Amino acid sequence: MISQALLRGLNGKAMWVVALLVAAAILVPASNLLLPAGHPLRVPNYLVPLMGKYLCYAMLALALDLVWGYCGILSLGHGAFFALGGYAMGMYLMRQIGDRGVYGNPDLPDFMVFLNWDALPWYWQGFDMFWFAMLMVMVVPGLLAFVFGWFAFRSRVTGVYLSIITQAMTYALLLAFFRNDMGFGGNNGLTDFKDILGASVQAGGTRAALFAASALMLAAAFVVCSAIVNSKLGKLMIAVRDAESRTRFLGFRPEYVKLFAFVVSAVIAGIAGALYVPQVGIINPGEFAPANSIEVVIWAAVGGRGSLIGPIIGAILVNVMKSYFTVAYPNLWLFALGGMFVFVTLFMPKGIVGFLSGRRWPGRPARTTTDAGLDTAKPSPAE
Amino acid sequence: MAASLDPGHRLRPLPNCPSGTSLMIRTFAARWLACLALGLLFSLNGAYAQEAPIDPAGPVADLVRQLPDGSYRDRGAVIGELAATGDSALVPLLRTLEAGELFLLTETGAIVTIEPEGDEVVATDVLTGEAIGTFGEDAVEEIRVNNLIRREVRAAVSQLTLMSDSPSVRIAAAREMFNGANADSIPMLDEALAQEDNETVRAVMEEVRAVAVLRSDAGPDETAAAVDTIIERGGRQALGILQASLGSASADVAPAIEAGIARIERNLALWGVGQNIWYGLSLGSVLLLAAIGLAITFGVMGVINMAHGEMVMLGAYTTYVVQEIIRNAAPGLFDYSLAFALPLAFLVTALVGIAIERGVIRFLYGRPLETLLATWGLSLIIQQAVRTIFGASNREVGNPSWMSGAFEVGGLAITNNRLWIIVFSLVVFAVLVFVMKKTALGLHMRAVTQNRRMASSMGIRTPWVDAMTFGLGSGVAGLAGVALSQISNVSPNLGQGYIIDSFMVVVFGGVGNLWGTLVGAFTLGVFNKLLEPHTGAVLAKVLVLVAIILFIQKRPRGLFALKGRAVEA
Amino acid sequence: MTSIAPARAEDRPLLYLDGVSVSFDGFRAINNLSLYLEKGEMRAIIGPNGAGKTTMMDIITGKTRPDRGDVFFNGTIDLTQHDEPAIATFGIGRKFQKPTVFESHTVEDNLLLAMKGKRSVVAQFFHVSSRHEREALDGILETIRLTGRRADQAANLSHGQKQWLEIGMLLAQDPKLLLIDEPVAGMTDAETEETVRLLKEIARDHSVIVVEHDMHFVRELGVKVTCLHEGSVLSEGTLDHVSNDSRVIEVYLGR
Repeated sequence: MISQALLRGLNGKAMWVVALLVAAAILVPASNLLLPAGHPLRVPNYLVPLMGKYLCYAMLALALDLVWGYCGILSLGHGAFFALGGYAMGMYLMRQIGDRGVYGNPDLPDFMVFLNWDALPWYWQGFDMFWFAMLMVMVVPGLLAFVFGWFAFRSRVTGVYLSIITQAMTYALLLAFFRNDMGFGGNNGLTDFKDILGASVQAGGTRAALFAASALMLAAAFVVCSAIVNSKLGKLMIAVRDAESRTRFLGFRPEYVKLFAFVVSAVIAGIAGALYVPQVGIINPGEFAPANSIEVVIWAAVGGRGSLIGPIIGAILVNVMKSYFTVAYPNLWLFALGGMFVFVTLFMPKGIVGFLSGRRWPGRPARTTTDAGLDTAKPSPAE
Repeated sequence: MAASLDPGHRLRPLPNCPSGTSLMIRTFAARWLACLALGLLFSLNGAYAQEAPIDPAGPVADLVRQLPDGSYRDRGAVIGELAATGDSALVPLLRTLEAGELFLLTETGAIVTIEPEGDEVVATDVLTGEAIGTFGEDAVEEIRVNNLIRREVRAAVSQLTLMSDSPSVRIAAAREMFNGANADSIPMLDEALAQEDNETVRAVMEEVRAVAVLRSDAGPDETAAAVDTIIERGGRQALGILQASLGSASADVAPAIEAGIARIERNLALWGVGQNIWYGLSLGSVLLLAAIGLAITFGVMGVINMAHGEMVMLGAYTTYVVQEIIRNAAPGLFDYSLAFALPLAFLVTALVGIAIERGVIRFLYGRPLETLLATWGLSLIIQQAVRTIFGASNREVGNPSWMSGAFEVGGLAITNNRLWIIVFSLVVFAVLVFVMKKTALGLHMRAVTQNRRMASSMGIRTPWVDAMTFGLGSGVAGLAGVALSQISNVSPNLGQGYIIDSFMVVVFGGVGNLWGTLVGAFTLGVFNKLLEPHTGAVLAKVLVLVAIILFIQKRPRGLFALKGRAVEA
Repeated sequence: MTSIAPARAEDRPLLYLDGVSVSFDGFRAINNLSLYLEKGEMRAIIGPNGAGKTTMMDIITGKTRPDRGDVFFNGTIDLTQHDEPAIATFGIGRKFQKPTVFESHTVEDNLLLAMKGKRSVVAQFFHVSSRHEREALDGILETIRLTGRRADQAANLSHGQKQWLEIGMLLAQDPKLLLIDEPVAGMTDAETEETVRLLKEIARDHSVIVVEHDMHFVRELGVKVTCLHEGSVLSEGTLDHVSNDSRVIEVYLGR
């Protein structure tokens, strides 16, 4: 039954996205590893983890769009789920360092030795096992989303209130993770990783494999989201987004619909964070910063929310721009980013995808729809 | 600060000062103002009066020059004559003499103190306070002291201080003896007490005498009385004295001392809570200032303005610019810099606010999530603009003299700038409540909030009201910036730190309710500061945030929620 | 109408409101309201603005909790103890005063969402339309005359068509009791005629409460009428009886 439901996620357009991602997962590593240095088609070493990073961001934006674009929940705290997944992965990587740390303690990470701790805290137990760490990558963000959503959605906290408390949630986590007592490396976070599954994180092969894993996980996440969106549940999600109270009178419980989407979204964000950490080599509390989470929103908005391809395009596009700007015109980047927020909300509410699909594409009927539902059904300020 | 008529007046805990936030809010504000006024009146501490230095050509200087001459007995007489002059400027000199650090420069006969410098010494004339040059070690000779001289010096010092004409000098002298008092001090204190007719000074002297008695081998009755006096005085110093005496105390008085220690500790703990409440109120006033503009734009208009923090930041930078101009053009006006900065900051941020409303927000009414994103974008742009113009580093904004300094009320340490910011936040709040309730603009604002179409058809220019309301909210944020520049660093990131907190305050207090914002701000401030001693600052903040998140989920419409059908829709 | 409440639960009618009161900020929206609806009955409710018609529906559907009074459905179900989704699944459907359909969905998807069936999240994810469902859907589209527009977005329908779509959603939901708030507001005369025909058809195998201002429409329905005023029942009976009641005339025409 599940496979059947998932197959539904592989309809026309989704097939192309998945095919493209699978091709990237094969071709980029192959080009990097097999072609000789200096070959014009070779993907240079520095680009592999960079592109992997973009794909992780794309996955995060996809996760956000599942709740924002389809359920109307503007989460300003998705960075928290991403970071929690990242920390779970980081804890595994820290444990893999073993006695190769500066202090050479076989059991304790350096920062714990530095803090004069004499034993591993209970919540670090088990993270030396890859499977357990990967389980936690999904369970921890999922659990947080579940608990948070359970309270928030059941008490009918909606609209901007919800946005603000999601922001407060990630802010609280930011402050908490800055504390050394938390046992997650405080300010410095977790870094100086050595191995993942026995392979050096610095090695070319590992980087290529991590890139491939990112591309494949993004494809998988895309299929899952597509399957949800194309099911009757997906229609219900949109109904909840546009007229939440109306669905109640049809006998649905919108709080559970939202909770489901929120938890799935958090798990995807957690996986994205877990893939991100070994590719950038560090995870620190800065990832919890509210500004990061809001930036994710703009990726989704630029690409086009309410579509699954939009946030992927948006995340990659904005981050490529960011990489370029921060090197070429470091002082202008924040102007550009800020301008993007204003421009997109004022002039391109449906993002690039909405903008393009509003025009006539050859071989595709123009959509006459106004999507009035998106705008008119927005919660009024009084809500 | 107002000068007190009797600077030596003993400070007592003020009656009626609220110990929590459970009081009704209206009386709360009124009482606080009353307490603050009392606090100001009672606050002057007894500092030494600044007296003229010793005249090097006068008779006192001649006496000083006789200090090295003659026998110990002769020199003791000289000290007695010095004491008879009643010139308290001699006290430091006498203390130096007692310590054996006064020298005679044999060459000139000058009385000097010395600082070694390599093999030589630098001599400073004690009469003029000027360095007179570098000399060989042989050129100076120590003015020798024995016990007779020391006794004379101590008597002279006490005569010059405990029996000075100025009550403030007497009280300060007595306080200074508190830690050093011992059996030897008793006769001196008794003599001073016999002459003392100022009740306040007497009280302090009695306390010092009690300390002296406690440290002497007086009889149990007298010691018990002394212990009582010390317990009555209270404070950390008294606690230390009692604890130190516990070891040598006789079995008769030990229980009394122990009980006293417990009582003082309890008292200190209470004052500690009081101090934390004060810190909490101070934090609350900052939160109130930051949140109150938001209470208007978000609470009244329903507009989420994520650039609100940047309005605060612009207000702070306006203060900086005003102070820079004054420093360069008219340094004498520095104490009035805030008077210039306040209206300017209001104007600047109100105009920026109106520009934002007209340029962006008005296209997004009814789409709060989009407004949130667009204003966040604006906040990034404003921050970066300020960073480009003023640089990324912290800017120094000075306190005018009337805002610096601190004073004590009972066991509370209160800094002037924090006190003024609390007063300022309450004034801003009161003015805003007045504007909303009693002015035409406020009436129009409320009309537009409640029913835009109706208001519009009644001839209210709703776009104008929108712009003005937003301008008002932003302008108030600018005022908050002026206040914040007095207690925190002014940097382009200034506003970001406050935005989440301000939203929490508004949402916690209940949207659309200014009183809710007031209560919310002070409650969160006090709660935060009461938690801090137990959990540490960061964890306290985390706990407060978590508490608010849970609270909002329990009561999504805040502490003072509007009820009824209108909000259900 | 008897005003003595049946003592035994199983003797209670399909819908049983007894002594219900609710107030908002001191304003009594519903004041000691009692109303009974028999199984299979269609009832028209009239009353001036602010008479409490919509609030009454809010109470029945669980949106508003009454301060006092009993509300029972099907004899034993205490509606005051349940929330909106639970009450909807007991078999009470509601059409709102302002047509509320899912604007960004197609007509067909609107009906699909309303279609009777499991309401859990998991069931929605694995849902596959059965032949039975498709046939029912076709039938409803036929009934509400929107077959030709089944693939159009609901947002693009006319006001009257949205009203019908919402009635169609009620049909798809197949509740025991339908609460219909102002079904003909903004309709042309021809559309109103159609709606009367449609409601009469529905009333054959459902219980219905219709709230309406349009007296012509109420007369066409030809059912028992209850007139509400200031939150309680002012008059009840045939339309002729009610419209000749001096108190009703006073309320409508003013003193």
